[in-house]
Amino acid sequence: MADWSKSTIATASWAFPIVAGMAGLYAATRATTDPFEVVIAIAFLVLASLVGVATSNSGNRFTMGLAVAAAIPFVLTRGTGVDLAGSVATYGVGLAIIWALRYSRGESHSELLPTLIRRFAGYVVYAVVYSAMRVGFLADLSGGWEDLLPFSVALVAWITVEVTLRALLVLGPRELSRSYLARALLHDLNVFLGLALTGAMFGELFPELGWWALPIALLPYMFAHTAFKRFQETKVTYKQTIRALARIPEVSGLGIDGHADRTTELASSVSKEMGLGPALVEDVEYAALMHDIGRVSLNEPQVIRMGYTDDDIARWSAEIIAESPNLDRVATHVLHQYEPFRKPGEQTDPEVSIVSRIIKVAAAYDWQVHDKGLSPLQALEILHAGAAYEYDPEVVASVHRLLETRGVLTPVRT
Amino acid sequence: MEWKQRRSLLGRYDRLQPMAQRKFKIAASYSAVGIAALVVSFLVADPPNWLIWLPFTGLFVLLEFFAVEVNDRMMQSSSVMVVMTAGVIFAIQPGSDAMFGMALMGATALITPQDIKERRWFQPVANFGQIVVAGAVAGFILDANLGHLQGASTESLVRVAVATALASLAYATIQNIMVRHAVKKVFGRDNLEPWSQMHVLFTSEVSMGLLGGLIGAAYLIADRPAMLVLIVAVYGIGHMSLYAFSQLRDAHLGSIRGFVKTLEAKDMYTRGHTERVAFFAQMIGEQLGFTGTQLETVRWAALIHDLGKLAVPTELIRKRGRLDDEEYDLMKRHAHLVEEILAEVDFLQPMVEIASGHHSNYDGSGYGGSGHREGRTPSLEASIVAVADSFDAMTSARSYRMALSQQYAIGELRRHSGGQFHPDVVDAFEKALEKTGRRWGAPHVNDEEMARRLAEEPELTLRG
Repeated sequence: MADWSKSTIATASWAFPIVAGMAGLYAATRATTDPFEVVIAIAFLVLASLVGVATSNSGNRFTMGLAVAAAIPFVLTRGTGVDLAGSVATYGVGLAIIWALRYSRGESHSELLPTLIRRFAGYVVYAVVYSAMRVGFLADLSGGWEDLLPFSVALVAWITVEVTLRALLVLGPRELSRSYLARALLHDLNVFLGLALTGAMFGELFPELGWWALPIALLPYMFAHTAFKRFQETKVTYKQTIRALARIPEVSGLGIDGHADRTTELASSVSKEMGLGPALVEDVEYAALMHDIGRVSLNEPQVIRMGYTDDDIARWSAEIIAESPNLDRVATHVLHQYEPFRKPGEQTDPEVSIVSRIIKVAAAYDWQVHDKGLSPLQALEILHAGAAYEYDPEVVASVHRLLETRGVLTPVRT
Repeated sequence: MEWKQRRSLLGRYDRLQPMAQRKFKIAASYSAVGIAALVVSFLVADPPNWLIWLPFTGLFVLLEFFAVEVNDRMMQSSSVMVVMTAGVIFAIQPGSDAMFGMALMGATALITPQDIKERRWFQPVANFGQIVVAGAVAGFILDANLGHLQGASTESLVRVAVATALASLAYATIQNIMVRHAVKKVFGRDNLEPWSQMHVLFTSEVSMGLLGGLIGAAYLIADRPAMLVLIVAVYGIGHMSLYAFSQLRDAHLGSIRGFVKTLEAKDMYTRGHTERVAFFAQMIGEQLGFTGTQLETVRWAALIHDLGKLAVPTELIRKRGRLDDEEYDLMKRHAHLVEEILAEVDFLQPMVEIASGHHSNYDGSGYGGSGHREGRTPSLEASIVAVADSFDAMTSARSYRMALSQQYAIGELRRHSGGQFHPDVVDAFEKALEKTGRRWGAPHVNDEEMARRLAEEPELTLRG
């Protein structure tokens, strides 16, 4: 990450909550809603943001605060129209308090800031679009289907702002391609929609049902929340299982310490840098973790007698992985992990997937650096030298860019 | 003609396989009860508002179509929400009742495209029976409690919540009992994996029903068509939570299968051993009164009990004759290694502790990881896996000896009962074995020496 962004973040981390809070307080003076209601809404927002964190597929954290936020413009709507100032005030002051609480709990600037800026910007757009539509041509809601229009359009605007800002604000943009981020965000849509709809449900019901709307909106939220938790746990279970399987060669004394983990880290970064989609990145991570699991067969009496080659290890690894559920694809990637990226006389070898090519390069790099003791630059030179036939030049170029960004390519005097 | 036809029908029934006969019995009785419930509710209750019944029934069929397997042979959907929403609307709206509308909605359980396509008749017919009965009873409760209300208002919401909670409780309980009864009758206890986490599923079904009822009342109070979109979204969320449950369960099962397969890939003698130990452990657990999650824990612990052997040289595992001290120490490590390998797999931690204690003896001797505490009796679960493991080790063939007889193996378990093995577990195992009527091991091999000789000189076997 470049230095400028670090210092900007440090400054902005302090400035943002102050600006948001001030904007909120200013808006509060223009608000038409009863201040008591605004205070209650802020309290709800803060409380909901602190409980029940659901982490989405892409590692984005969502809290129930999003549902409360979605409901605010609904709730602060009276016969005269939406209280836009009140809505912004509620969220701005609420966000400043949330920032203070989370910061005091030891969360870092660099993690807090992009999320809060994104949320605030997204919310303001949502509230503005919603209230503009309610003030404009839909001032007189008749209780028909068109009631849904302001919310739907505002929600689409909110999600668009979130997507754009996420792609722009996530740290270390040089290591991550935009297309990866955009695709990752699409994975978050179910969480986002689940929470926003829960909020809208409350908002729709509140004018008629009063506080009864709360339990009715809370129950679906709880279902959504447990669902996200379970989805997350499912992912964690697969990851932990694969990690445990990957540990077996090392625990048996047949593997190379830390090789699987280091190869995975590099391969994963390379695949994100190259702009692969989340599903392929996951394949890369799984394949890299387990690429050497076939080494458990190295203490087979027959193997000890007959000897083995790299291809044998790839084959045994693939055989073991193929037995595990949902991992057939990963098994194929692992099977071809030692093969050159192209066939003689041809530009490429269609059997060797991009995943296999990344694993091959990442494993070779780690081998050169940690087993042979070469410097990163020397190891990279070996990869470049092999880029005519063995190593995919695009993958090598990506490793090059990555190592450059990380600042490890210092020339070594020999 | 009538007689002939009856005879041929009876003849056909007699020719059916026992499993098909059991299915037929259940299907016949369940559908009879279902039809009776439909007729009774048609006679005693007013018809529903068909304009509301139709779209909700469409949603009901859709959710039933997306039902997910939440446990061994047990499907669940979030359709209870739809039934309750519609039921509350029917019960509250003047001129309509919930009982018949809900029962008839349940009758659409017969429409399952996948079953029709694959010509499966049992599930849809049995489901028809249990959902119709559950729907009629829940509808009756709603009618009795909400029928007198003249339209919905916020004042009546407490009453709606209580009535819906009761109706959902009845709906879920009836379904649960009838499904359990059908599956156990048809497939028998031996062919069922333990049904774990039932309390979670039951609670979620009841709360989904409650939510369904509340949004039904909210729909009446708010009286805006736009609410329908939000209601459908809520159904979607309910479905998602069940789907997530089944995904997580798949992940757990898949993870265990992955470990077992890896172990089998390394050592072919393990093939079948783990599955049999799990089977025996489950038998003992059931005999000791274990149910649900507790039973599943024992079964899963048995499935991973030998995983540490992945890190023990194969040569040693297959070695004929006695191991020297150094080799024995290396072999003993496998009880620790299971902990080391699975240290980061959170959901397996309770099972890992049991597995690491499967060489821990009742008298406090033995060895192992955290499941073994020198001088202290190991957990009942670890004792179960120990007995199951030892029994299978004796009654299955090894590279250096033939399988021993069940009689011999039981004799050995009994001889070491109170020392190496937990006496209650040994007793329970004997009783459970008797119940199954099956026998394991080679029938006439009654001592270790003979088993070794038979393995070394196979022609002895031929001479008998």
